[in-house]
Amino acid sequence: MNIVVVNMVIPVGQGLFPTGNDLSSIILNILWVVFFFSMILLFNQRLQIWTYQRNVEKATIKLQMLADKSREEALKSVQKYAQENTDVRSQVTAFLDFFTIEPVDRDPFGVLNRLEHLLDNRRDRFKAFVAQIAPKAGKAEAANTEDILEAAMALNFIFKVVRHYLILGKKTKSLMIFVQLDMQLPLIMKMAEAYFNAQKTFSAGKPIGDGLGPLVASKLMYGLPKRIIAEDIVCSEVDISNRKAYVLKAEGPGGLLGKPGEAVKRLVEEMSGKVARIFMVDASSKLEGENTGEVVEGVGAAIGDPGPEKYKIEEVATKYKIPLDAIVCKMDLEEALTTMKKEIVEASDIIIEKIKKAIVERTKEGDVVIIAGIGNTIGIGQ
Amino acid sequence: MMQRERQPKFAMISILLTLGAFILFVLATIVDPLSNYSNVLMIAGLALLAASWGIYFIGGRSLQRAEISTENVITVIGCRGCDIREERPFSEGDYVFKEVGPCKKCSGISYIRAIYSIPIKKD
Ligand SMILES: [Zn+2]
Repeated sequence: MNIVVVNMVIPVGQGLFPTGNDLSSIILNILWVVFFFSMILLFNQRLQIWTYQRNVEKATIKLQMLADKSREEALKSVQKYAQENTDVRSQVTAFLDFFTIEPVDRDPFGVLNRLEHLLDNRRDRFKAFVAQIAPKAGKAEAANTEDILEAAMALNFIFKVVRHYLILGKKTKSLMIFVQLDMQLPLIMKMAEAYFNAQKTFSAGKPIGDGLGPLVASKLMYGLPKRIIAEDIVCSEVDISNRKAYVLKAEGPGGLLGKPGEAVKRLVEEMSGKVARIFMVDASSKLEGENTGEVVEGVGAAIGDPGPEKYKIEEVATKYKIPLDAIVCKMDLEEALTTMKKEIVEASDIIIEKIKKAIVERTKEGDVVIIAGIGNTIGIGQ
Repeated sequence: MMQRERQPKFAMISILLTLGAFILFVLATIVDPLSNYSNVLMIAGLALLAASWGIYFIGGRSLQRAEISTENVITVIGCRGCDIREERPFSEGDYVFKEVGPCKKCSGISYIRAIYSIPIKKD
């Protein structure tokens, strides 16, 4: 027996998979079989968990790096306009966890009014925070700083959620948590990188892809007198082939969205509904395979807000039976959030031609139309 | 932009090493004259496998850094009075329709007509 054991442990001259008929090689073969089956049956899930966990851990480290960097960037841009001897770091770090609770929609009556109220609250708090921590910033710089903080908050949130699931998976040793997380990682990372690059664009004050709508509007209204008609929204009267066009956009060049829905509603009410058409210009998310800068026409309220502004436009258009025309330019999330590409600038001229043609074709002389350029007007004046 | 793929060179080396280890294992078992050295061959094979894994993981990791994205942003300047068109790199404070002093050609008001990024050619 002793000899067998020794032989088994050191199978001298028998090769890795012995083919002999003696006892030791048979036992060695059995041991191999047991080893492989235990690997496949018993440790298989462990190995899988380990592989997925490694991927998720790497991604989490990268997300943490992005979140940290974006916080530093936010601090840097706040510090430029901060009063000396204020503890910017702790205040900004604490503010990054600011949250908004969505209104209850189990009773949907008036949910958009409640949502709008909460969004107003949120924006007011943002403005107040920036005004308090960066008092030296002008209107445009303050608006850009808000956008920079938004990007840092988004990255902070993404990092925390992914880390939450990573730790949860480790605690419960659940393969399903890791698999689900790992499968969503490519999209999550893409989004995180988009926000990260967006922040750099915001801090330089460059126009972003989402600024397409405001760009179209400001090209139409440049050099004409303007008035503020709703929160952060400017409006000009433009003559297009003997039709009176009210062109509106958010007030630039700070990173503002304004309340275009409120503005359209007020304009239409002001003229007691005597508006022939409403044209809306916005950036639209493209499907993979579509080209950036492609201009597409359709109907409906082309605006990507959480709801209230879109609702106002649809409501007032329905009330007075005003046709809603939508003209959008295709781009992906990253392109919408980072510096405007040349294709998008070129698309703005195509859109202007399309609007002019549509106005001639679909309205009569003397009619009134509204042209709303929807989007973030950072880096675009008027 | 971040690089997420492993560099193909490292992956190829890793695969070759694994293949080498596999061939050693097969030789040790099948070819009779070699069976006397099976232990040596087995250890060599395992070492190759270990090296293969090491290269795969370490080689892959060294690329996990964020590329510093330098984009090429152009500011286009035009004039209200004439059709002059001038391009220069973006500088902070620029925004579309900002007025930037008198025109060089006709002393009308010149302004920023467009700001856009163009892809950087990779060499
Ligand atoms: Zn000139």
